[in-house]
Amino acid sequence: MKRFLVISIALVAACKSPTPTEQMDSIQSWLAAAGMVGDAWLRHTTPDKYSRQTLDLTRETLLQLARDLLKAPPHSVDSVALRLVLTRSREHVARMARLIEEKNAPDFARQLDSLRADRRVIKLLFDSIESGQ
Amino acid sequence: MLQITLGIITSVGGFLEIGSVTTAVQAGASFQYQLLWAILLGTICLIFLVEMSGRLAAVSKHTIVEATRERFGFPFFFIVLVGMVLVAFLVLVAELGGIGLSLQILTGIGFPWWAIPVSFIVWILMWKGTFSLIENGASLLGLVTLSFAVAAVKLHPEWGGVAHGMLPTFPGDQKAKYWFVAVSILGASISPYLMYFYSSGAIEDEWDESYIPINRFISTFGMSLGGFLSMAVLVVAALVFHPMGIDIQKFEQASLLLTTALPKWGFFLFAMSMLFACLGAALEISLAIAYFFAQGFGWNWSEDLNPARDARFCSTYTIIIMLAAVPLLFGVDPIRVTIMAMALTSATLPLAIVPFLFLMNDPIYLREHRNGWISNTVVAIIVLISFVLAVISIPLEIIGG
Repeated sequence: MKRFLVISIALVAACKSPTPTEQMDSIQSWLAAAGMVGDAWLRHTTPDKYSRQTLDLTRETLLQLARDLLKAPPHSVDSVALRLVLTRSREHVARMARLIEEKNAPDFARQLDSLRADRRVIKLLFDSIESGQ
Repeated sequence: MLQITLGIITSVGGFLEIGSVTTAVQAGASFQYQLLWAILLGTICLIFLVEMSGRLAAVSKHTIVEATRERFGFPFFFIVLVGMVLVAFLVLVAELGGIGLSLQILTGIGFPWWAIPVSFIVWILMWKGTFSLIENGASLLGLVTLSFAVAAVKLHPEWGGVAHGMLPTFPGDQKAKYWFVAVSILGASISPYLMYFYSSGAIEDEWDESYIPINRFISTFGMSLGGFLSMAVLVVAALVFHPMGIDIQKFEQASLLLTTALPKWGFFLFAMSMLFACLGAALEISLAIAYFFAQGFGWNWSEDLNPARDARFCSTYTIIIMLAAVPLLFGVDPIRVTIMAMALTSATLPLAIVPFLFLMNDPIYLREHRNGWISNTVVAIIVLISFVLAVISIPLEIIGG
């Protein structure tokens, strides 16, 4: 009975952690949402406070997701490149949040473009993981 | 005519709440139009249930709770009470949280700070207000949710795809999530608290048998239009979030729902829609829980009475509102509570609906106005589907994280 319980708990625990694919989807989703928040702020359709807080939330979530993903990165991916691009995109998001406070739209737009470029790189890396699986 | 118009406006304005919006946004963002069938199914079931609730009250002069206790006895009633109140309480936490989140995106002040002021406003409206103020006032403000329909039309959806989404299909991947969201949509649409609220309202408004045609008209058109509004939310999410690969996990992400279709006012319309929709729902749920206790235990009850004359009824909603604020004060995520509450609603539907169907077929209560085979069959099948899906998908989703 005890053994059965231990195995069940282990199984549930193993199932509970999201797969790398799910983590990757989540990272891409948050990056896309950050891009949308950025676009909306540039078009003056969202308040500064909301945009800044949402970008802060995105940065925190990306940090957590990247940490989890990089604990055991998939074998088919260049983990150094992945770590680098995830860190860089997180920094873009953090800078965007700061630039909102400074109301610096031109620099904000540049950061947003860089974030988009990084998102494309991340997508390519993730596609390579998916094709390797 | 005025009564019918007001009834329909109330149904439309009061249809959306945090559960229906969250589940529809998640469904649209993750599965495009594929889960429209779940809203359609839920709306059909709700039309039948709301019509039955009004008919029971108009013919028998009993609310559902009074009739359940009288017909099945206290021990059975007590089981229904525990199940329904627990689920309704979770939904109330979610609605108060929804108001807090709306205020958070508008002001930048975190939702836990809003828990006490929001609960106080809900409570004071209940304490000072009348039934018609709660029924009509909040719903009239809730008409701002029509902006979802405007946004859906402005985004020019592919109508063939929308029509195709009305038919159930099997998901390609993310099977557990697909069925879990389907169950949550059904739970959000078929909310038992609405039945208890509606039947109590019919007694508050002193309906008699002459109201049966009006009741049928209001429940059919009002709930259908409300269902369309919920579908509009899903369609907008499918057109805005799905192409960008955004899987909605937080309210802050969902807040951008209307900014593509309505760039100038979209953000504020979303915030105001959620604010009023959740406020209306919070008032209705608090009342429904208080009705449940008061009618079940035989206390004085009426939202129109002075609180001194139905002290236990008023104390119930006072305590319930205070308790509902506690998890929010500690920062419990209202969206997580919402999703879980909606799925649990589906799982507990038989507890509310099965005894109700027995009542609706009882000649002692309904005489010649008993249910026909169509209403019995439709409701029984939809409730069975919701229950089976809930029992299968909730553990799968929990295990899958």
